[in-house]
Amino acid sequence: MLERELKKGSAELLILSLVEPRARHGYEISKLIEQRSGGRLRFKVASLYPLLYRLEERGWIVGRWIEKPGERRRRFYRLTPGGRRMLAAQRTHWREFVDAVAQITGPEHA
Amino acid sequence: MPEWNAALAARLASLRLAPAREREIIEELSQHLDDRYEELRRDGRPHGEAVALALEEITDEGLLAREMQPLRQAATPPPIVPGAPRARWLNDLGQDVRYAARLLLQGRAWTLVVIALLALGIGANTALFSATDAMLFSSVPVKDPASLVRFHWAGRNDLVTEQDEFGFIRPAAGGQRVRGSMSYPVYQQFAANAAPFADLFALYPDGEINVVIDGQAELANGDSATGNYFSVLGVNARAGRVFTPDDDRPSSPPVAVISSRYWLSRFGNDPAVVGKTIKANDVLVTIIGVLPAGFTGVQHPVPDRMADVVFPLSLDLQLQTSTGRSEGSLLTRPTAWWLQVMGRLHPNATGAQLQAALDGPFKRTARANFDAFLKDLPDDRRNSPSYQNRTQVPQLIVDSARSGFYDADDGVRTSAMILTAVVFVVLLIVCANVANLMLSRAVGRRREISVRLSLGATRSRLVRQLLTEALLLALAGAALGIVVAVFGVGLLPAPASSASVFRGPVLLFAIAAAVVTSLLFGVVPALRATSVDVNAELKEMGRSIAGRRSVLARSLLVVQVALSLVLLVGAGLFLRTLTNLRRVDIGFDPHDILLVRLTPATSGYNQPRSVELFRTLIDRLGAIPGVRAASLSQPALLSGSTSSTGIFVEGDTNFGRTSDVGTPGNERDRSHDINRLIVWPGYFRLLGLPVVMGRDLTPHDDRSSLRVTIINETAARTFFPNENPLGKRFTTSPGGKDYIEIVGVVRDAKYSSVREPAPPTMYDSFMQNPRATAFLTLRTEGPPSAVAPAVRQTIHDTDPNLPIVSIATQVESIERRFSQERLFAQAYALFGGIALLLASVGLFGLMSYNVARRTPEMGIRMALGAQRGSVLSMVMSESMRLVAIGVAVGVAVALAASRFVSTLVYGLNATDALTMIIAVTVLSGVSALAAYLPARRASHVDPAVALRAE
Repeated sequence: MLERELKKGSAELLILSLVEPRARHGYEISKLIEQRSGGRLRFKVASLYPLLYRLEERGWIVGRWIEKPGERRRRFYRLTPGGRRMLAAQRTHWREFVDAVAQITGPEHA
Repeated sequence: MPEWNAALAARLASLRLAPAREREIIEELSQHLDDRYEELRRDGRPHGEAVALALEEITDEGLLAREMQPLRQAATPPPIVPGAPRARWLNDLGQDVRYAARLLLQGRAWTLVVIALLALGIGANTALFSATDAMLFSSVPVKDPASLVRFHWAGRNDLVTEQDEFGFIRPAAGGQRVRGSMSYPVYQQFAANAAPFADLFALYPDGEINVVIDGQAELANGDSATGNYFSVLGVNARAGRVFTPDDDRPSSPPVAVISSRYWLSRFGNDPAVVGKTIKANDVLVTIIGVLPAGFTGVQHPVPDRMADVVFPLSLDLQLQTSTGRSEGSLLTRPTAWWLQVMGRLHPNATGAQLQAALDGPFKRTARANFDAFLKDLPDDRRNSPSYQNRTQVPQLIVDSARSGFYDADDGVRTSAMILTAVVFVVLLIVCANVANLMLSRAVGRRREISVRLSLGATRSRLVRQLLTEALLLALAGAALGIVVAVFGVGLLPAPASSASVFRGPVLLFAIAAAVVTSLLFGVVPALRATSVDVNAELKEMGRSIAGRRSVLARSLLVVQVALSLVLLVGAGLFLRTLTNLRRVDIGFDPHDILLVRLTPATSGYNQPRSVELFRTLIDRLGAIPGVRAASLSQPALLSGSTSSTGIFVEGDTNFGRTSDVGTPGNERDRSHDINRLIVWPGYFRLLGLPVVMGRDLTPHDDRSSLRVTIINETAARTFFPNENPLGKRFTTSPGGKDYIEIVGVVRDAKYSSVREPAPPTMYDSFMQNPRATAFLTLRTEGPPSAVAPAVRQTIHDTDPNLPIVSIATQVESIERRFSQERLFAQAYALFGGIALLLASVGLFGLMSYNVARRTPEMGIRMALGAQRGSVLSMVMSESMRLVAIGVAVGVAVALAASRFVSTLVYGLNATDALTMIIAVTVLSGVSALAAYLPARRASHVDPAVALRAE
């Protein structure tokens, strides 16, 4: 239960972080999550895309079909200014949360 | 590459996404699966395993659909395709329209009611706009009407001896009277001097012409125009040819062209009409062509009279001489002003240039012709005071004839303004009513709206959606409204009834009305519906919303009641005005009188012969069973025509002038004006007008005896105050020698207006003043229409060549004087009734809704011992409180608006208290009935049932 909640809450942060430097398409996002987490985190299509669409609906990211010569068109997601603010806030919260958890669960200081 | 689409579509199906959105998602996901599949293959998995693993991405017990549930109506930004335009707004609009259409089709009954209401409101406005636009703002139906100019003159004109005018011209800036007719010499001078700037033509409306075709005599409307009339206007014949300047020479064979309408009505569109010879006013004329159907002349954009036959102007010499008019054609009389002169400017020429070039010649020509006329007069006439110092020349005005030679008269403007106000008020009531219907529907949709808001739909997006629905309704209403307008225009009086609805400006108006209407009835409900508190709304069906909705609904109802009352007051005012006008004592009993107008002149009768004709007819018609008496007059009383002259009393040096073409304010001249009626002996007996002094006219007052006349009491009072008028003598032309002696005084009768007091009137003997046109006047036993067939037969038997111009009862003739008042009364009554109905239905709906909502409360009240009567009166008083507020507002508005109709009502004030009381009573009565039904339902609530529902 907790795991799922955690995953869901952090998933938003992951996606926002990944599209921060540049626009990416869904498959790329899923691959990056898998690679950078060393295979520990993996999103299936059935959970990744609804999340993308929800972020999009909230106005944090924007998906656009972009056609490049010689390729099939793909939907690229990029961060909006609102998303950028949200990302900054979530990063702070996450860091505070991780610090707090670390302080509690870390080895006792003598 | 495997195909994923089917698998994806199956999983998304339950979402019922917009098709475009669904396609997009499938495309995006299937690409992902492709990528995944390729990756697995690269890792060395066999095809089957790779497909299964890829599909695992989307198999999660409905997770995909569940997770995407909130996306049902999500907005989708448009794709970026090289070179493709941005189309987001249109996409959204298309989606809104589809969604709205689907919803509206779901609530079919509700939608139909709303569309019908809107059709009524928009239709009435469109009908009126189409008539108003056609009559006041459109242009005459010829090519390039903007380059047409017309010639008028303003101010006093001393150089006229006789003048014809056929329409209304707005006064000049300084209030100076403007006239339109020119003399033939003035036209000729114009045509010569205007050549560098414009091509001019002249036109004369002949009026009724007796046209005999194959031995059958009937009257037709005739125009005479210069030979270049059609070429300057750019009108070609649809069959045969139009006439040319070559046809317009006295030596040319007589020709004419006919209108399309006449071609159909008189010739059944027979192609052999070209080349056919007809007899017009006893002149043999060959028809050479048929005019196009769209050509309705250049007098007005929507003419009240249209020429059936158009003759070359030179034919006037024969057409008029043949009528026995002793003076002959107006073409030969240089001081007769009768022609309408118009022209088409050359490119780059202006009306101002034309005016500058022609003003000098205008004044010189007018002056020269009047001098020539004076020179030809016998010395004593020329030296009479009225011909002295006649030097005043009017100012020439050249302006645009885009909308025709004449202007729309004030009556049309007043009618248009008043009726526009009425139908606009109806539209407002419709809007208030529909807004209430929208509100009640919005209440039913609160859940839907809350859900959509909570799922991230923005408020502006929802408002737009709701407005799209409103607009869709209004456009449907407008489409149906155009049908309503087509019928509505037909109800308007001529010529407005011939205005076409299917014209660009009218259709644009209907669309604009729909847009404005949809904003009027859509915005407030949309804002109200989307301002829900999402949490409260989702938790429970909050009462607070119903309460707020109620306040707005109540205000809209008050508006409806108030506006209905304004219309009802208007209806009351005009109905009572009509009643008052009908009750006016016109001096004689108009019932059982039949008026038959004949113009023997057009059948070749001269004046002496027509006296014999009328004598025969009066004898024969008087002998018809059912006819008590027969006589005649020219014109008829209260028929709309006026004949007046000046009187110059013997021994009275204070002369006036016969013609009233001077500037207004010349009271001394006007005081000598007297209305004139030429009558047959027995006329007063027939009408029942007693001769109060002296004697009646007798058959012996003919050409062989002294000229005599009878004046009415007002004339006696006006011209002979404190004197005995009997035996006084006067002439009708200044310096004239043919004296007329007053032999009697008859009681006053209204002459041409029922509203105004009887004017000074003189009754001359027909035998001493023969005319080749008159109204045969018959007093009948019982309804005059009963003898009409026998009357027609008798006239036909007497002379089959003699067409009957008109046959009408005196009452009908008088009623025609009230046509404007009747139009207003009908419009107010009709629309007031509709408004009252709408307001009542609105009240009924509102109270029914309130009662339904409060059923549990009623149940509790009754369980606690409240009597049925007290519940009834509670609901009733709630309704009537609203009605009372509406009435108060309505009375205030009606009082404020009363000044607009104060000059139109008769016999009462526009703020008449009795009318207000009647209107309030009717309104209260009907709305009490509308409120009673829900109140009764409330009082019959079974406490047990009501409480169980709670």
